[in-house]
Amino acid sequence: MLKTRWVCVMLMLAAVQSVPAAPAEWGQLIARRESLYNTIFVYQQGSVVTLRFGRRAAVPIQSQVDLNNLREHQLEYTELAFCGLLYVPEPNSILVLGLGGGVIPRELRYYYPEAVIDVVEIDEAILPLAKQYFAFAEDEKMKVFIDDGRMFIKKQLRGPRPPQYDLIILDAFNGDYIPFHLMTREFLEEVRRVLSPRGVVAANVFFDNQLFDAEWATFLAVFGRCEVFLGRFSGNAILLSGGSQVQMPSAEELLERARQLPEQRKFAFSLPAVAQCIMPDLKPDSQALVLTDDRAPVDWLRQQRRGD
Amino acid sequence: METQRPDSIAPAYGSRVRTAAAIAVACVCGWFTMELEILGVRMLAPYFGSAVYVVTGSVIGTFLLSLAAGYLLGGWLSGGSSSGFLLGLFIASAGAWTGVLPFLTGPVCDWIFERGLDEKWGSLLAALALFAVPTVLLGTVSPTVVRWLTCRAEEAGFSAGLVLALSTAASFAGCVVTAFYLILYSMRLTLTVSGVILAVLGLCILSVSFLQRSKHA
Repeated sequence: MLKTRWVCVMLMLAAVQSVPAAPAEWGQLIARRESLYNTIFVYQQGSVVTLRFGRRAAVPIQSQVDLNNLREHQLEYTELAFCGLLYVPEPNSILVLGLGGGVIPRELRYYYPEAVIDVVEIDEAILPLAKQYFAFAEDEKMKVFIDDGRMFIKKQLRGPRPPQYDLIILDAFNGDYIPFHLMTREFLEEVRRVLSPRGVVAANVFFDNQLFDAEWATFLAVFGRCEVFLGRFSGNAILLSGGSQVQMPSAEELLERARQLPEQRKFAFSLPAVAQCIMPDLKPDSQALVLTDDRAPVDWLRQQRRGD
Repeated sequence: METQRPDSIAPAYGSRVRTAAAIAVACVCGWFTMELEILGVRMLAPYFGSAVYVVTGSVIGTFLLSLAAGYLLGGWLSGGSSSGFLLGLFIASAGAWTGVLPFLTGPVCDWIFERGLDEKWGSLLAALALFAVPTVLLGTVSPTVVRWLTCRAEEAGFSAGLVLALSTAASFAGCVVTAFYLILYSMRLTLTVSGVILAVLGLCILSVSFLQRSKHA
């Protein structure tokens, strides 16, 4: 009897040991960089390349690309980030804060070869990796600026004629470190000053914690209106607000627009599916804190689960 | 060899209470120095970003340089007969500066940024302009307290070790409490309350210093 129990314990131990370490599902480690901001890992499994910061399992994947099928989005949020096109179907100028593997700017470039796309990334070690492993390339009208997102916008505002972007995508989170100064009311007011009146700003956020409510309340405080697109397969959501001339159509009208857009653009993914992620009836917690430069306890809010 | 105690609020007449009070003053100043440093990073981020230059270069660098200057100044003044009076004045001034910091940050940082300076030299200049004065003033406290605790030359090492150890431990507590808890509240409120506490402490030291002096006179 005792012996059988021991055998069971030994078998269980063997099973535990044979479970592959977490990163193994992304395949072989093919590159590792120690940058000023991150320890960056690149994994490859067949044609799928994955970008991660740090080894902790809790930290979400930054980017994932199938090199044999670049049009297919491996992560839900990069597809969700295209919801801005439902409001601005033909953006002439685009700003993306946060490069990562470069999936969002690369796909925007593919569908909009004429658009000017400015990409801002704080970590200079990311750009060579995105080019080497994730099929990202700069071109005449798509440049990557190594800078803090808020500094980049401030420098634009300091110039004589600040740009007016039609589409601004905020994707500057790396999982563990939350840049509070890219979430405050003062920051969004600066963003609004480089947003064209017909343009929209879309922010990638995680919706399972109270930071989501606070970010939402902050968007509402600055822009007056804010739509939310909730991911179905991930914890990602997009907060979307528009300039003064942007109409916020009903969910039905939005779906209709989504069905018409692909006819012109031939999107490889389903834009109607993105449109259906809109949650018109969802409201932020009425007690949610509007984040300011003076008070933005983002790390603490991130740890608090949402009430509902 | 006995030396003359430099000031009357020193733990003269072997009073343990006065020794403890002097060390407590060093600890309070150690706490607020680090509180200011941690909030300093947050205060500059909206204007100069959170690049590594701002945090490790400008803010931490400014605090180290200012503490160095404060130690030198404090050591130099600690032997004088009015060191208690000066210390009170310095702490009260540091408190007043801390209290008005939230109102200085925006104009100072905007002015520097508008001059075309960016996250490296701009943030360094801003950190110096905003944080050097209170940190130099708070830095004068430890050498002065070391001097007060030292009656004979052979005690100097122990006094210095004790004051540095306890005030640094208080700095550690200031770090942890600020980063873990005070960050949840309004920075403006935290700095105002801290400024008031420092100012009151400084005024107390000033009045004790005056009382002692008039008693001796």
